[in-house]
Amino acid sequence: MTKARWTMARWTLPHRPDARAVVLAMAFVLAIAAILAPRLQSRNEAYRLLAIVDVTGSMNVRDYDHGGRPLSRLEAAKSALRTLAAQLPCGSQLGLGIFTERRSFLLFEPIDTCADFAPLDGAISALDWRMAWEGDSYVAQGLYSAVNLAAGLNADLIFLTDGQEAPPLPRSGIPPFTGEMGKVRGLIVGVGGATPVPIPRFDTFGREVGFYGPTDVPQENRSGPPPEGAEAREGWHPRNAPWGAELSGGEEHMSAVRTEHLEALAARPGLSYAALTSTPLEGAVAAAARPRPVPGHRDTAPVPAALALLLLVGLYAAPLIRSVRYKRIATP
Amino acid sequence: MIPGPDLSVDHPLVLLLLVLGLLPLVASPLRGTGVPALALAPADGLSMALSVGLKIAGLLAIYALVLGLAGLHLQAQSVARLGNGAHLMLLFDRSASMDNTFANRQPGQGEESKSAAAKRLLMDFLAHRPRDRIGVAAFSTSPMPVLPLTDHHDAVAAAVAAIDRPGLALTDVGRGLALALEAFDTDNDTATAGGAVLLVSDGAALIDPRVQAALRDGLKRRPVRLYWLFLRTAGARGIFDKPEAPGDDIPQVMPERHLNIFLSSLGVPYRAFEAGSPQAVAQAIAEIDRQERAPMLYTERVARRDLDRLCYALAAAALALLTAAKWAERQLDARPPQVRTKQAESSPDVTRRAA
Repeated sequence: MTKARWTMARWTLPHRPDARAVVLAMAFVLAIAAILAPRLQSRNEAYRLLAIVDVTGSMNVRDYDHGGRPLSRLEAAKSALRTLAAQLPCGSQLGLGIFTERRSFLLFEPIDTCADFAPLDGAISALDWRMAWEGDSYVAQGLYSAVNLAAGLNADLIFLTDGQEAPPLPRSGIPPFTGEMGKVRGLIVGVGGATPVPIPRFDTFGREVGFYGPTDVPQENRSGPPPEGAEAREGWHPRNAPWGAELSGGEEHMSAVRTEHLEALAARPGLSYAALTSTPLEGAVAAAARPRPVPGHRDTAPVPAALALLLLVGLYAAPLIRSVRYKRIATP
Repeated sequence: MIPGPDLSVDHPLVLLLLVLGLLPLVASPLRGTGVPALALAPADGLSMALSVGLKIAGLLAIYALVLGLAGLHLQAQSVARLGNGAHLMLLFDRSASMDNTFANRQPGQGEESKSAAAKRLLMDFLAHRPRDRIGVAAFSTSPMPVLPLTDHHDAVAAAVAAIDRPGLALTDVGRGLALALEAFDTDNDTATAGGAVLLVSDGAALIDPRVQAALRDGLKRRPVRLYWLFLRTAGARGIFDKPEAPGDDIPQVMPERHLNIFLSSLGVPYRAFEAGSPQAVAQAIAEIDRQERAPMLYTERVARRDLDRLCYALAAAALALLTAAKWAERQLDARPPQVRTKQAESSPDVTRRAA
């Protein structure tokens, strides 16, 4: 009887809720807020890029190392591009083209690196030196045409090449760039090692048949005026043999990445230069290319949810911490 | 740490916080009550159930919040469905002559080049064939794989959009065809369904006998349907032209006629369309559209579904339960809370949770 009265009294008494009940209620309200939290519009940064890969003969040089096995420059460039495609932020777009002879050839316009990753990855891995339609390699011309392509696509450029000009540049040096400097941003990626190595040679059926020798490639560009000091060459004649009568020697049958040439070349249309090493290209691309805003959305739900979790964990952890502390004091 | 084959999280490291879920098993937000001896309280099934239930609710609330924060979602999946469509390999001639109009001039005001007409009409074709798997290859002086067979039509459209760029010098149609056939070989998805190759060119060339043999061989192994959309320039030789002099009936003089003869001799379904104007191209493409409608398996992509809101709802429900339990909490003793608390704190070993 008395017990029942006591209970009734307690029920009717207005009691102050204890702090932990308030914290629990707050966590509940925050969880409800997390359900209803809006997704806000935001702007993410992404890139629109055009990758042009040099597929000329010197790209077959195997001077990269992949787990102890030699890897050709073309394969190294492809694998770097595939990694880049996987690392670019979603919303970025990447187009693909190849370069040989004196121009760049567009395979497809930039496509989404996230939504269309599978075909993009497949297309990059299908790049092959057999796609080249000529043996010549006028890198400067190819770069300028790539810049034009990229400008038409409103994209930034990644030009992967070893910089081996075949035939060598004339004495007048790099041809002038006639487009608008700085309109297209991007970078030249120098592919290849620093030590000159022989270039593999293939027959009509694509079988490897050794290497190019010194007499297989033009060692000197004989268009335009002859170089200074040509008079001193063996058999020189001002009309009949202005370059001398002997074959000129040189190292054009060996290939190494022509860093100086590529740096000078990159400066013409206002691109930057990076060497292809084991570090991913993403950093160099982020430094050189223009980030473009793409619409994204930012979810606000994690804020109340994290707060709710914090409150809840605090609620459970507080008595534990306290009891640990008291135990420590209580232990003699 | 991924809970199921289709479930995935955006931030796997957040899942480390799942350890916090152990807290409700060793602690309670409810007040302890000092009782002289535990044995005083009789064993009570309902109390046990409530105690376990509240522990589970606490664990659930923490787990659901952590999973929600980690970005739990159902992965985007592809579901195989049966529909009408085709595995189609588009093979484009990218030789420089494709950049001229059907009248073999540089495109002027209001005129469109052969490649631009082909591009426009093929874009329409793509737009109303969403289920096809399409690959793209190009040829000129050399064959070039552009895109593997794919159902990503944005990518195909980007590749088709590139065909009206300035082309290269020559027309090596034989190796181009070999490359298109090879695309079916390297693709593992077309094993059951047949494929088709659509060759779009404005000319033909000699096919090397070795390449001819390779093509016959390849088509024996994997029969595909062939379509040749020949964009005929005014004044140029056509596919169906008859030789004027007997000596002219050789591939060197009439490559188009002989490519047609070669393709029809391959023993696979083959149709040639000769189009001398954009309208004729449109008709030919419409005909191909009608022909290439066989039942095939295609994959439909189901977009990813976020489950974070569901997690938060679960957490809210568990928290509602805990809150209700906490607000309904009553002390056994009628002493003022501060006194009781002091006592409970001074002898934590003998506290017992009310629930």
